[in-house]
Amino acid sequence: MSQPTGRTGVEQTDRTGADQTFRDGQPSYRTTVRNARDGFGHLLGAEWTKLRSVRSSVWCLLATVLLTVLITPLISASSSTNANEAPHFTDQFTFVHQPMAGDGTVVARVSSQLNSQEWARAGLMIKQNTTAGSPYAAIMVTPRHGVRLQANFNTDIPGPDLGAPRWLRLTRSGAVITGSESTDGTTWHPVGTVRVGALAPTAEIGMFVASPPVLRVTKTSGGSSTSLVLSLGAATFDRVTIQPNAPQQLPGWSELMLNGGAGTKGAPPANVPSDGDGPFTAGDGPFTVHGAGDVAGYGIPSFPLGDDDIVVNSLSGVQLGLLAVIALGVLFAAGEYKTGMIRTTFAATPRRRRVLGAKAIVVGVAVFVAGLVASLIAFYVAQPVLRRHGYQPPAYPHPTLADGTVLRAVIGTALFLAVLAVFSLSVGVILKRSARAIALVVGLVLVPQIVASLVPSLGVANWINRLTPTAGLAIQHTRPRFDYAIAPWGGFAVLCGYAGVALVVAIWLVRRRDA
Amino acid sequence: MTSAAAMRMEWTKLRTVPSTAWSIVGLIGLTVATGSLLMWSLGTTHCASHCDQDMPQLSLSGVYLAQLAVVVLAALAITSEYDTMMIRTTLAARPRRLTVLGAKAAIVTATVLVTGGIAVLATFVVARGIPVDGYLPLSLDDGATRRAYFGTVAYLGLIALFSVGVGTLVRHTAGAITTMMALLYVAPIIAQLVSDERWRHRIERYAPMSSGLTIQATTHLDRLPIGPWHGLGVLAAYAAAALLLGAIAFLVRDA
Repeated sequence: MSQPTGRTGVEQTDRTGADQTFRDGQPSYRTTVRNARDGFGHLLGAEWTKLRSVRSSVWCLLATVLLTVLITPLISASSSTNANEAPHFTDQFTFVHQPMAGDGTVVARVSSQLNSQEWARAGLMIKQNTTAGSPYAAIMVTPRHGVRLQANFNTDIPGPDLGAPRWLRLTRSGAVITGSESTDGTTWHPVGTVRVGALAPTAEIGMFVASPPVLRVTKTSGGSSTSLVLSLGAATFDRVTIQPNAPQQLPGWSELMLNGGAGTKGAPPANVPSDGDGPFTAGDGPFTVHGAGDVAGYGIPSFPLGDDDIVVNSLSGVQLGLLAVIALGVLFAAGEYKTGMIRTTFAATPRRRRVLGAKAIVVGVAVFVAGLVASLIAFYVAQPVLRRHGYQPPAYPHPTLADGTVLRAVIGTALFLAVLAVFSLSVGVILKRSARAIALVVGLVLVPQIVASLVPSLGVANWINRLTPTAGLAIQHTRPRFDYAIAPWGGFAVLCGYAGVALVVAIWLVRRRDA
Repeated sequence: MTSAAAMRMEWTKLRTVPSTAWSIVGLIGLTVATGSLLMWSLGTTHCASHCDQDMPQLSLSGVYLAQLAVVVLAALAITSEYDTMMIRTTLAARPRRLTVLGAKAAIVTATVLVTGGIAVLATFVVARGIPVDGYLPLSLDDGATRRAYFGTVAYLGLIALFSVGVGTLVRHTAGAITTMMALLYVAPIIAQLVSDERWRHRIERYAPMSSGLTIQATTHLDRLPIGPWHGLGVLAAYAAAALLLGAIAFLVRDA
């Protein structure tokens, strides 16, 4: 029990109660004898005692952990992937090239680029030879991601966030390739330097254009499917010059469409209009080049990692565990109404708002702890199973808790359960009966996910997933996916909104209503 | 001690508690409202190229929510007697326990079948009035559509029997309802997350809700994990098993 603090003035207290308190010289006739169980600490203690001494609530906490953990290996074991069996790169683009012996420099201005895809590429490339998959280095502009220097399907160096028109320069000095960009062709800014170790003495050098396919999502009853749709990139180059260090006869430009590696993961074959050799004889341009596809591999941002969110897969046992949390939250309130215990509680602590506050804190904290145990165990139990079923680097890098998004998912799962418990508690207070309260919460949390998957319209499905408490599960997401309707914290905020409104209504009702 | 008297007793108990009326309103309201809202939300734009969605199934998808009301109604019919210890009075009045359980199951199922029939018919009438671009209006002349609508009523009846069985086994309201929710809803959600087609197929084939609701399918029957009537049979097997176990427990346990 805390000392009466924070009061100014003199207090006179005797054992009989109702006494005068002098505050700033004015007498006030409030009792200074404290109620036996009025401190919030005691209230928390009382609610904790009720929680831990009722068999069903202890069972619910245990069931939350057990159900979540036990179903996890089953979910993980029934997933599999063959993402790593496909080639780890794609080498599909249009190359206007000629051989250059030894060291030298190529310069060009990309005067315009079509915004066919955010990762469309137009720039200069030096490549071992014209075989798909051979080593390369390239400096390029993209419509949405600025200037980049990329090499060997695994290196990506971002430059300034600027697009066409832009001067680009690629310099070879042995195995070291330097990329630079410029606004005017006189003042050059280096973007970076890469080593392309296996580069032959005579390598192909020239202009290239690529444009990765666009993901299209089709929603049908019972699921959604994705397909890749070709996008055709185009760019115009001018002021193209090649300056070899050693004097040599340059043979002139020839055009080639490469198509190798993983293709572009299921896109239809590119039907690129050939520009022919004709236009490329006109000295330094301008040349307009069309191209489709991608030059990328794991490590280059436009190359997609595997489709599945394996952290969500590891933590989805919570879909079963949350039923125990709902039952716990509802029973913690409705149970007192059923047995009439609520009258004793309110007789002991007439300040009902505080009682409800204490209940919410106790059930929230207890569920958070149980949920954190469950989600940590589930996460670690799932990883080896997922690895055995093909979820391996490079398509699926091993998730670790050191990664902020993974940590958010694991802790967020416990937070989700804690807020869900408070929501269930509030609904239990509002409805007073466990049967309809459980049915209502389950109807708001589990059923929308099923209905959303049935609706043959992605827009409607997304709105269902955004507006119902189900949105809270978005906190488990660790990577962008076409069917994610809401951002992780945004979804969590939706759930908190539901819990907050329900709690306010519950507080308003308990103060108004007879117990 | 006729079973007619036992049924009359159960009917009196069922109709005089307020939760029954709430459940009936919930069952009809959720079925009609959800199905019509989803049909209406599609509007006229969703099918640009191919219109082969299953409209009867979509119009009946309110059942996913509405069955919550059936579970509450049917489970409460038995568990509320344990909550209030009314069960002792019931068994003192009618000591033949199988008759009591049978009468209870029959009355609850009949109530759900009648209410569910009204809900499904109302859904049909409302959904037929919602035009969706590219589709003919719903018609009961089509055999598959007829199977979807009448089969859904049967599905709800089986869910009622299943819930009575689980309620008799668990004897605790919150426990019985939570168990039913887990049995019904968790498997389909897990199936969505599973990336292996074969496992998804297996889960949908043997989970009570996914298999039972295949009765609603009218298109792409070849792609179903299990045929419509066989699916309903799987649910019936679950309901029968739950009722059997419940009956055994009811016979051997003290009330």
